[in-house]
Amino acid sequence: MEYLTVALPKGKLFKISADLLAKADIYAEGLTEKSRKLVITNEEKKVNFIVAKTADVPTYVEYGAADIGIIGKDVLAETEKDVYELMDLGFGKCHLMMAVPGDKRREKLTDWAHTRVATKFPHIAEKFFNRHGMQMEYIKMNGSIELGPIVGLSESIVDIVETGTTLKENNLTEIARIMDASARLIVNRASFKLKFDRIDKLTRDLRKILEREGTP
Amino acid sequence: MDITDNITLKVPYGTRDSLPDETRKKRAVKEKLSRLFNSFGYEEVETPIVEYLDTLTMGSAKGDEENMLKLISRGETLALRHEMTTPIARMAVSRLSDSPLPLKLCYIANVYRQEETQAGRQCEFCQAGVELMGSSAAAADAEVVALCVRAIDECSLNDYRVFLGHIGFVQGLMTEYGINADAQRKIKKAMERRDLVKTESIIDTLDIDKTAKRNLKKMPWLIGGEDILTLAENMANNETSSAAVNNLREIYKLLKVYGAADAVSFDLGITRDFGYYTGAVFEVYAKGLGFPLAGGGRYDNMLADFGSSCPATGFSLGVDRLLLARKRQGGEEDTAAAAIYVAYGAGLEEKAVTEAARLREEENVAVRLALKSETKDEAQKSMQENRCSRLFYLE
Repeated sequence: MEYLTVALPKGKLFKISADLLAKADIYAEGLTEKSRKLVITNEEKKVNFIVAKTADVPTYVEYGAADIGIIGKDVLAETEKDVYELMDLGFGKCHLMMAVPGDKRREKLTDWAHTRVATKFPHIAEKFFNRHGMQMEYIKMNGSIELGPIVGLSESIVDIVETGTTLKENNLTEIARIMDASARLIVNRASFKLKFDRIDKLTRDLRKILEREGTP
Repeated sequence: MDITDNITLKVPYGTRDSLPDETRKKRAVKEKLSRLFNSFGYEEVETPIVEYLDTLTMGSAKGDEENMLKLISRGETLALRHEMTTPIARMAVSRLSDSPLPLKLCYIANVYRQEETQAGRQCEFCQAGVELMGSSAAAADAEVVALCVRAIDECSLNDYRVFLGHIGFVQGLMTEYGINADAQRKIKKAMERRDLVKTESIIDTLDIDKTAKRNLKKMPWLIGGEDILTLAENMANNETSSAAVNNLREIYKLLKVYGAADAVSFDLGITRDFGYYTGAVFEVYAKGLGFPLAGGGRYDNMLADFGSSCPATGFSLGVDRLLLARKRQGGEEDTAAAAIYVAYGAGLEEKAVTEAARLREEENVAVRLALKSETKDEAQKSMQENRCSRLFYLE
């Protein structure tokens, strides 16, 4: 049997993903988010793990440096990499939305045309606004997006929301829902075919586990 | 000289130079492919690197032109060719219309796509391929697949597989279940984007029975050996799908005779990036290369779109990807030929020119001639600098 290389994202999806895969017999000793080793191997099960920065997971998989990966739909949609999106794993649920300061609401969405929007997801945001015939000025940020309107960097934000607490704390109100997201199992184009039997079995196993135990 | 900011030394995004070592290896591969294609009776052709945009978009799905490099000339929109099948179809209809069929043509040419660079693919990249026009027989499809397998073998790439499918199988299934044109288009688009989550969610919204839904969801997973054909046959209950499976069986029977069947698997849910395919289609994947190495198939309607109905099939192989995959699989051949360095003492320049000519003739190797007289010690050093393996010194 050939090695299967798995890319997992650091952060909130890491532990749930690793635990879920372990139930499907895909695991390795010493697999932690903080491992100093870059590649963690289980020789007996013929599995390699790469623990990567979130935004890099689709890249590893697209190039075939990893055969499969687990990643949020939000990141996947933003990077638009050419990979198989095989399964919705159901966990890591959140949604992408547009928010504005609560005291500065405008009547219609299109009233915000030609304003500045701070976001980590300029690609998704642009597609969304294009659909509404709106041109915007995008300000790409890498964290603390909600700061944008507070410090006068932008009029609005496009960001992911899980519970809405951060929005409330910063006096932001959601005015448009853009897309729902959750964790996805992604696979490299060539690996899906060349390692089909193994990936087919893994997918079946994962479906059974999710059906039996529910979304982790 | 500080050259870091010198714009005139840069090359545009997605293009690159090929230095002597690399060019030599690439040339060797191109020559092998060219000889092989000729040996199967395919004649090489060339087409302009620019075409009218309307010509290139003739066979492709809407949206493909986004990735084409366009220019305006005399008020017309032109584009650099993004693949070779469409220009050759255009040529066949306009220039070779009274040639006897079947027409067997081949090419080794650079094509251009304005997209993010990938492994072994810049915006400018080299494709080698064949087009067989004028036959709808399974024998034509088999010849093209077999030739593709031979081409890869010939270039010493060992670890690869061909995945053979048929556009008609999925088409027949969707028609059998009475899926309307709009939903069909959505399903195909999601499958082409390899988004199986979306494919399944579209299927879930359809008003069809449970078995139909289950079968449609199975489409991308019909990958494997000959037994997949039987499985697929039992799934479908319509003529188009059955004809597709029978066609694949016929092709496979011939591939066994060609000795190519061992490299071939089936993939009944196969989708291709270009919209012009109509019948048996295939893709080749190699170990160590995350992207397809080659692909092709039947495109029976394209020539009709240009005004002259004619069935056709063919394939194209990424030459740069082949070289990259071979390197990653450790099978790279060093094709550097032994070379002789001809040096000479003072006053012997003219004799050296004559001797160099004689050596080129007799030994059939590269001969590098010194351009000024040298002592024997100097010549020894120059020989190494010139990467020659032998010294011929006149004194």
